[in-house]
Amino acid sequence: MAFHLLQRNRDGAQRLAEALLAAMAGVNHCERCRNLSDIPLCAICASERRDPSVLCVVENPADVQSIEQAAAFQGKYFVLIGRLSPLDGVGPEAIGIDKLKNLLNGGEVKEVIIATGATAEGEATAHYIGEVARATGLRATRIAHGIPLGGELEYVDSTTLSHAIACRRDL
Amino acid sequence: MRVDLHSAFVLHQRSYRETSLLLEIFSLRSGRVGLIAKGANRQRSAFRGALQFFRPLLLAWAGRGELATLVGAEIDGPFSALSGRALLSAFYLNELLTRVLHRDDPHPALFAAYRQALETLAQAGNEEPALRLFEKRLLEDIGYGLSLRFDVDTNAPIEPERDYYYQSDKGPWRNPPAHIDTVKVQGRTLIALAAALLHEPEVLSESKRLMRFILASHIGGRPLASRQLFN
Ligand SMILES: [Zn+2]
Repeated sequence: MAFHLLQRNRDGAQRLAEALLAAMAGVNHCERCRNLSDIPLCAICASERRDPSVLCVVENPADVQSIEQAAAFQGKYFVLIGRLSPLDGVGPEAIGIDKLKNLLNGGEVKEVIIATGATAEGEATAHYIGEVARATGLRATRIAHGIPLGGELEYVDSTTLSHAIACRRDL
Repeated sequence: MRVDLHSAFVLHQRSYRETSLLLEIFSLRSGRVGLIAKGANRQRSAFRGALQFFRPLLLAWAGRGELATLVGAEIDGPFSALSGRALLSAFYLNELLTRVLHRDDPHPALFAAYRQALETLAQAGNEEPALRLFEKRLLEDIGYGLSLRFDVDTNAPIEPERDYYYQSDKGPWRNPPAHIDTVKVQGRTLIALAAALLHEPEVLSESKRLMRFILASHIGGRPLASRQLFN
């Protein structure tokens, strides 16, 4: 991309560079939830219309965006900016567990919904945070994984299918 | 050079460039191998669903040098998904293997032990014995098997009720010389480890301390990151 811009579109390259610089200077992390924010306390954390007793823990800012677009959640968030990955040296500190503990000890949160990815590292992260929440005496839940709505079983991969069977529920 | 489809596990993977993955695998025939899986991060990649941790796979690759290219990946039969402490334990096994094994050095017996350990971990509640027995097999396989039956000094059989002082890569002493570095361990823990019967809590916690002490000299200076996850 860089070569393309330099050869064909130097004006565009200039504008892109300026936009990136401005974004990097302006955007920081919310001091409460670690989401990307250009003000110290992001709009969701500051909102009085969101339920502070339910906290949804996600890996990345993009996950917050997805859940917000689904408009299915009225609580607040905590963004890990990553997930536990011991072989890459990413431990609890790197994903802000200390900050999360402070938040959980604050007294407002009653339930922690853990919405990390459905990967082995996402599951390990979910387990770890679940233990942290339980140690604080809070309810910890994990989002369900399974068959996409409108999906035919024959097109679902075998891992998802076996997970969906293991996590079946009564009708 | 081409290596045909055969049993392997993914030890580690991370994104590489836009759409590829760098893999560290443990294979039955070649041991630890570094591979690049081109395009595996694409939504429609044939590799995408298969390349998962702790899942028995069949992998094939081609090329030479440090990094060969993955050319085939299939899921090899059913497996039980790991969760909770068992999952953290499995990451510990992977970290241990990547730190201790050299690349392209086959360890077929250890491969079988790894598969066995994952199966044991899938039955919740067996994490600690499974980890200790795997560590014991690992040390045997790299040529540093534990010495668990006789006092290294006097050659007297280990007695369950006595205390011993274990010296790394050597064995247990009743009366160690003052200048050597050892860890204290009861005779019955050594006997239980020799018999691979780790049930009693005290034996388990002593075995853990002993293994940590011995492994320290094989994993290099940095501590294992996955150990931090067990609180
Ligand atoms: Zn916020």
